[in-house]
Amino acid sequence: MKITKSLVGRISIFVILFAIIIVPLVRMLFYIDGAALKSVFTSDGFYTALLNSITSTLVATVISLVVAYALAWSIHRTNMRFKAILSIVLVFPMLIPSISHGMGLVILFGNNGIITRLFDASSSIYGFGGVVLGSVIYSFPVAFLMISDILKYEDYSPYEAANVLGISKPRQFGAITLPYLRKPLISVVFATFTMIVTDYGVPLSVGGQFKTLPVILYEEAVGQLNYSVGSVIGLVLLVPAVGAFLFDLLNQDKGNSAYVTKPFRLEENKKRDIIGYVVCTIVVLFTLLVLVSFCVQAFAKRYPSDMSFTFDNFAKTFKRDGGSFLLNSMLMALLTSAVGTAFAFITAYFTARMKTKTSRFLHLMSIVSLAVPGLVLGLSYVIIFKSTFVYGTLVILIMVNVVHFFASPYLMMYNALGKMNENLESVGHILGVNRLRIIKDVIIPQSKYTLLEMFSYFFVNSMMTISAVSFLATPDNKPLALLINQFETYNMMECAAVVAILIFAVNVTVKGIVGAIKKHGEKKDVKSKTV
Amino acid sequence: MNKKLEIKNLTKEFDGKGAVHDVSFDVYDGEFLSILGPSGCGKTTILRMLIGLISPTSGTIYKDGEEITHVAPSARGMGIVFQNYALFENMTVLGNVEYALKIKKETKATARETALRLIEQMGLLEHKDKKPYHLSGGQQQRVAIARTLALNPDIILFDEPMSALDVDTRLALRKELKELQAEYKTTMIYITHDQEEAFSMSDRIMVMDNSVISQIGTPEEIVTAPANDYVRRFVVDNLRMKVESIAKYVEMGNENH
Repeated sequence: MKITKSLVGRISIFVILFAIIIVPLVRMLFYIDGAALKSVFTSDGFYTALLNSITSTLVATVISLVVAYALAWSIHRTNMRFKAILSIVLVFPMLIPSISHGMGLVILFGNNGIITRLFDASSSIYGFGGVVLGSVIYSFPVAFLMISDILKYEDYSPYEAANVLGISKPRQFGAITLPYLRKPLISVVFATFTMIVTDYGVPLSVGGQFKTLPVILYEEAVGQLNYSVGSVIGLVLLVPAVGAFLFDLLNQDKGNSAYVTKPFRLEENKKRDIIGYVVCTIVVLFTLLVLVSFCVQAFAKRYPSDMSFTFDNFAKTFKRDGGSFLLNSMLMALLTSAVGTAFAFITAYFTARMKTKTSRFLHLMSIVSLAVPGLVLGLSYVIIFKSTFVYGTLVILIMVNVVHFFASPYLMMYNALGKMNENLESVGHILGVNRLRIIKDVIIPQSKYTLLEMFSYFFVNSMMTISAVSFLATPDNKPLALLINQFETYNMMECAAVVAILIFAVNVTVKGIVGAIKKHGEKKDVKSKTV
Repeated sequence: MNKKLEIKNLTKEFDGKGAVHDVSFDVYDGEFLSILGPSGCGKTTILRMLIGLISPTSGTIYKDGEEITHVAPSARGMGIVFQNYALFENMTVLGNVEYALKIKKETKATARETALRLIEQMGLLEHKDKKPYHLSGGQQQRVAIARTLALNPDIILFDEPMSALDVDTRLALRKELKELQAEYKTTMIYITHDQEEAFSMSDRIMVMDNSVISQIGTPEEIVTAPANDYVRRFVVDNLRMKVESIAKYVEMGNENH
């Protein structure tokens, strides 16, 4: 093989990715010793937590998928109005930390909860039910987006043919819809399952005595600094994540998007539309209810005894350094986005626009972080970096976030670059314009919206993540989202709610700006058409 | 006639389709040569080796008597027009055409002047400020041709440039290409799998089959003396079938007039 500049580039990126993803994980596995294995696998707590994890995740996954499918169906298969605004509101839960969903449930249905008091009921939200409900709220928007994508690109022509042949709707569902959905849907199932089973935020805040594996990992590793026991549980949590990853890898729908598909033609059907409205209204109400509960907590002087409006709780939060943590978080998110977007772009350029045998390995390496749950990543990072100078600095938080969220933005760019005309660089080559110049003048301008999306993905997730960073944060260098748990521990729910609102506000703003820029750009493109 | 290009024993080994096996031929100055063959026969591979986008496993290429086998693509004085246009979607028509000129450090004014002249020649002056995706396929291909002409190459390669266009546009573009050639005296090498296209434009045609040349000659030579069975089937029979199926209707039309 000839040693070219691009080969050196590919190998360098591969080595970097290997060093920041695989090496820490391997180091973590070496941290496991016999004593830790024994103590974990002989304790009753472990098996209870394992069982809790499996049962609550299974139930939550099923509910989440049903909800997500119903929503995606309502958006893509009915003539409902307000689809655009609904699609925005429905993904609101993705903008706040998982722990705040649990907190929202406590505020609503807890012992002193808004709804509990309203109906004068006793609370049973703590435990299995709360964990399931919280996990559903936390995960359904992701499943909804994935299923939406599947439904959006479903081909209408088989249905048209079936209609002509007089095949009934239920039989069409069985013969066309299900076979089409099966494979992609299994990916959604795995993704949702992994997302829920590795989350500690919801069970920590609303689980009470109902402990799941991530909670135990969190308590052991973050609370007691018992990294070896944490590593054992981390290893267990890697199993479903790696399994889901491998399944996806082996089951990629080849060329699914290559077909020319006919968009769905929706006939008039009032009954169907009403079902859509009902489904969306219920879910939106519930989604908003959680947000409203934060507002009640945050803006009421002293919930529930004094409900007068106040900004005192914001002042209180800021007095406890909420402001500087907010700035710290935003700085971290901004830098993560900048570094992450650049790194993902360069990597995707190598894999998508220089097709060689080595680029396939690099591609695989780039998406492998999908198989590493945030908690496990964080634990492995603290083990490998705790005695180095980067520990406790912003650098390591940015690093872990870039790794944690790398795969999705990378795939966005990989797909965008793959769709671009394959001869652009060749044209440059012939015109005497070098590759870097073509990248700067042609490739980057053509992928600016994708870059924007990647930036916002890194930003929003860095603002709300509580998993990997929880191991690496120090009292001076703590992301804002981690304050929620801290305030909850001191029973300062009003401050926890303020933090959730702040994160939500920042993320909605960022999403709004990105959306506005894209919309403006698209408008301009349409305008130049009519010139 | 002067030899513009001499290709000697050109070979490119591949695992899959598109390999080229020990191909030798000459291209004359100012001629229009078509390379005709089914997909996967190696014709695009030859084109990419001629312009230097891929390097041959063995063999040599001479241009005006000088070897250029390993010369950088931009130093060969050739241009290429791709099937899928490969325009810079983020730039206007004018931007596309003057891009290379500006980078070559020509003054802004001359770059613009040259670009506008070419755009006008291709009949696109009213579209000069539009982005490519607002143009029809035929218009986009004209932009690509103008962009290629801007650097004033003495050989232009065409990689099935019309296969994505409709019949009317093709006919118009064929005529325009011949006119351009007459005006610029450019040597043109044109790849196609369409027999009719090759026969309607070419001075000579090179018929390819599975990595090797079956025959190279004028259209008359190929029709009157096909070199082998393959040429007879792939070229002559195919053309005859097309002509015969239309001929009777043309005759009917004539009788009615």
